Amino acid sequence: MTHIGSSGLKDILEDVDAGVLTDVLSFVRDTSPQTCDGCIPTALVTVGSNVSSLSRLLSRLNGQLISTEEGSVVVLESGDAPNLKTTLKNIIRAAVTNTDGNDGYQKFLTDRAGPRLLGYDLDLLHDYVQRKGTKKLVLALRDSEAFDPGLLTDLLSLFKSWLDRIPFTVLLGISTSVELFEGRLPRSCVALLQGKHFEVQEAGNCVDRIYETLQTDPDTNLWLGRNVTSTLFENTSDYFQSPEAFSRMVKYAYMSHFFANPLAVLLAKPDSTVIAQNKLCAAVRNLPSFRMFCEDLVEEGSTKQVRDMLEDDEYLIQEMPKYLEANQQRMRNIFQAVRVVHVCLQYTQSAKKANVSDLSVRALSGELSESPIVEEMVATAKTLDSDKLGELLVRLGAIITNPEADTIQEDLRTLLETCSGSGPLRSGYNINSTVTKTTVVQQRIRLSKGQADLSEQAVEYTNIVDRLVALLQVHLTESLINPQDLFLHEAFLFDLRNPLKETFAPRPRFAIERALATPFDYLLSSSDVTMAKVSAKQPATSILYQLYLDSGALVNVHDLWQAFYGVFETEEAGGCDDRVVMSLFYSALSELKAFGVIKNSRKKTDHLAKSAWMGL
Amino acid sequence: MLPKEVASSLSTQWPCRDVQIRQLASLLGPHIPSPPTLVVHGISATCKSTILRAVLATVKVPHAIVRSSECITGRHLLTKILWNTLEALSQKEEWENSGKGRCEQVSGLAVLLEECLAARPVDNQGKFVLVLDEIDRQREAPNTLLSALARLGEIIPSLCVVLVLSSTPRPLFLQSAAVPHVSFPPYTRKEAIHIILSLDAPALDGLPDETSSRVYPYFVSTVYDSLAGPTAGSIPDFRSICDRLWPRFVAPVVNGETPPGGNTEWDFSRLLVKNRAIFRHQGESALVHRIVPDETPASAKRAPLAKTAMPSALPSLPYFSTLILTSAYLASHTPQRLDTIFFSKFSSSSLSARNKRAHHRRRLKVLSQAQAEERRAANDDPSTPNKKGKRTKTRITKSTLSSAFATSSATTSAIGGGAGIAGPSTILTARPFPLERLLAIYHAIDPNPPATPLRVAAVADRIYAELATLRRLRLVVPAASHSAMATSSGNTTADAGDKWCVNVSGDWIGELAKGIGVEVGEWLAGGLD
Repeated sequence: MTHIGSSGLKDILEDVDAGVLTDVLSFVRDTSPQTCDGCIPTALVTVGSNVSSLSRLLSRLNGQLISTEEGSVVVLESGDAPNLKTTLKNIIRAAVTNTDGNDGYQKFLTDRAGPRLLGYDLDLLHDYVQRKGTKKLVLALRDSEAFDPGLLTDLLSLFKSWLDRIPFTVLLGISTSVELFEGRLPRSCVALLQGKHFEVQEAGNCVDRIYETLQTDPDTNLWLGRNVTSTLFENTSDYFQSPEAFSRMVKYAYMSHFFANPLAVLLAKPDSTVIAQNKLCAAVRNLPSFRMFCEDLVEEGSTKQVRDMLEDDEYLIQEMPKYLEANQQRMRNIFQAVRVVHVCLQYTQSAKKANVSDLSVRALSGELSESPIVEEMVATAKTLDSDKLGELLVRLGAIITNPEADTIQEDLRTLLETCSGSGPLRSGYNINSTVTKTTVVQQRIRLSKGQADLSEQAVEYTNIVDRLVALLQVHLTESLINPQDLFLHEAFLFDLRNPLKETFAPRPRFAIERALATPFDYLLSSSDVTMAKVSAKQPATSILYQLYLDSGALVNVHDLWQAFYGVFETEEAGGCDDRVVMSLFYSALSELKAFGVIKNSRKKTDHLAKSAWMGL
Repeated sequence: MLPKEVASSLSTQWPCRDVQIRQLASLLGPHIPSPPTLVVHGISATCKSTILRAVLATVKVPHAIVRSSECITGRHLLTKILWNTLEALSQKEEWENSGKGRCEQVSGLAVLLEECLAARPVDNQGKFVLVLDEIDRQREAPNTLLSALARLGEIIPSLCVVLVLSSTPRPLFLQSAAVPHVSFPPYTRKEAIHIILSLDAPALDGLPDETSSRVYPYFVSTVYDSLAGPTAGSIPDFRSICDRLWPRFVAPVVNGETPPGGNTEWDFSRLLVKNRAIFRHQGESALVHRIVPDETPASAKRAPLAKTAMPSALPSLPYFSTLILTSAYLASHTPQRLDTIFFSKFSSSSLSARNKRAHHRRRLKVLSQAQAEERRAANDDPSTPNKKGKRTKTRITKSTLSSAFATSSATTSAIGGGAGIAGPSTILTARPFPLERLLAIYHAIDPNPPATPLRVAAVADRIYAELATLRRLRLVVPAASHSAMATSSGNTTADAGDKWCVNVSGDWIGELAKGIGVEVGEWLAGGLD
């Protein structure tokens, strides 16, 4: 998938961040200590779980500030700040190297009139700011929560006292909430800061955008199926995950398709000779989708074609690209329909917004066209007034290329021109245009609903709405088919949950526990007989671990030794060497200690305390 | 210039500091020999440094000022002293003569300073004043630094060292007799109000000057009595509170509302009655500085509406992390010995288990309430622990569960001390817990337990990854680093046996957990009923 390389991804992410960037930039430009009552101007940026977005934002902010020669951004992470001296040194170095490079920093230190200053002296920074004419020096703490509060207080009070000479602006990246962050700092530290709060887009939003671009792009040849999609989005909502990590997972999915699925060769549009050389024809004939396709053909009565496909390689090779092309087009139509539904929902749905990912999962399992979302959408679309409908049509026109859509739009425009000035038109389905009549019949009140008398324009408008709804319904039912029914979907639809899930959720603890508890799952057993649980043939550590599993929270070492010795005693009838077994016992014990599963107990001297339980 | 003249010229700008100005002017004046060392002390925001600078500038004595808060180490301070002295004597070009600008010991500093001062031209050999601002806040200062610096003036006759302290000095803390002290006491009520009133009331459109000048003095003294005085607010705080509250206070006049009681004009008492709520709500919030300031007073009328419409946004953690955080919170706030009763699946259904659980919950609730009360009592009146308090205490120690709460080093997890005690998190302190316990509790409270037991194994490994992020956010911290935070802020190693501790308040976690369908009160001892 070349078209969605890292550059495409970068564009999407930059687009998402653009709003916040301009806000922060204008904040940095406009504020000064004077506008903040003498406090340090502070921008609080909450990033939520979208941890990586801040560094993107900062590097772009840095680029902008440097290009206009207003100043620069110094990024500081909690790892750079073990104590005050090192932190200051890092800040100064980062500020200088940011514009002048590493050599510039060395030169800056040595080429000065006067004595050599200490590396953490802010006089250096002051000097630098004067030389460069810096108007704004933004100090960004990327993970402010991880800084030691005491250190932060020291640092900020230092900045405060230098504020009349160095134009600091502090930018704090916050992953939880402003209140929580503020509450954790001492009051004296909070009193030094004043500023504004910015919010970066949630990770989920970025991920949705990436996914939408990937799947609905007209050049896409390979799609992610339902299982993969739901796995991907499960990960985003359940764990801390950056958009970058998401795109890495997507890339992995594509790679596993291209490396593990021989049918992927069809996507490269190879020569027929290449296909003929390999056993691709046989592979295609074994596909479930091929079988389904043939069954359908037989039902239609074209047995000749089926026979040809089964027996004639040449014919199959000739036909395959055609079907592949057609079915890929149908996949594109599916996603186009998804976008249509998404756009319509923005106009019809009031409360909760369904996003593209939800809709895609439904569409990929072939359930979208009958889902309540779509039915509701169609029902609400009927009641839209002419203003909203006009907007909707413009949005739809950009997606659907259908002459009917254009004529509807045209008709609506002419209708609106004839009756301009009388407010938006309402269709006959609107709640305002039905009237409830009350009549008394045989001393009972009868309620009857009837159409209010519609004006001529309204009737005409209702007509247009009906046409649009009919168009929508036809379009959706036509395009929203189950992709699993398509012939050759194995080639262009990647839908295997497994390598993805396993690869991105490694299970080291489970693996270690299993290896220790049942070592022959991994090692080659020397004897053929399936053995009793614990045996002397197993590695000593594993034996001890199994004995350990049987014990309580506190284990007497002597008991453990007895049991351990017992294992060897029963197996080797001729008597075994005490000393060898003892040495095995000790090495096993120290290995378990290294794993961190046991430790010396403080309660009883000759006991060990268990510190890990299996199966958690 | 006589000290009296100095005082009169300066006190227009900084009122109510006549005595101190005169003392300083007479001690530092150019024609009288100065004491070798002078101590100026007073709490923050009492105008020490400003007055000192102003006096020095007025009496025209050559001087150098070093802000000790800008010096990172003791050595840094000494170098800075040397440098600023050289600069003040305009000898900066000849730095190579004076130890190449390097100075590591106070003894070295004495020699270098003496050389510098001796190198001045003969007609300019007067006294030189060295001001060390906030010297008691110096970082990494050796114990002997203060007394050593105080000796500088004795060694070099033309030097006068002024030490500015923001804490009250102990007697003889410089180890030398009869050092003159100038004290800057906090402003009294009269002085504070006088200072504020020396500036005019903030101008407002639509408010007649006459009304403003009539009402403002009363308003300022009311603010002092209700807000600034009791909280020992400094003058800048006081002024900012006045500036912020004044437009709201006179809003009825500006908006042209009719005064009650058939009067035609608003007077102070009517405004006060009308605006009582300001002093209670906005006033208190005005005392607390926030990083992000509240709405401007211009939209004062709409402010409460906007606040209710937009509650403080909860940060959104992913589902899994929220669940882990919740289990960490529960692990921190449930005594370990009650784990089987609260979390065991075996005891979840039977009636007797439920009764037992309810019993323990009540017990813990009573206990924690008693603790909270006791703490409140201790806060109210720390000097005399009365009998009542003691009796409650014995009752608690008798209770079977008190051992579970005997905490020594655990810290309060509440955000703001007072709010945490009164809040619904009734167990006061978060106690450290081992990681395995967190995992076990996680499995107990998981609202959607996995259907296949094979997948369970993966959970522990995913928990570690998420826990690392939570630790980075300081929501869950290793218990050991609580005490030694400074040393280990960057390192992330942890043993299996190491203990962890939750670091946020319960209310917040409770709300988060509700979002994913876990009711914290259901599990928490003392949380429900």
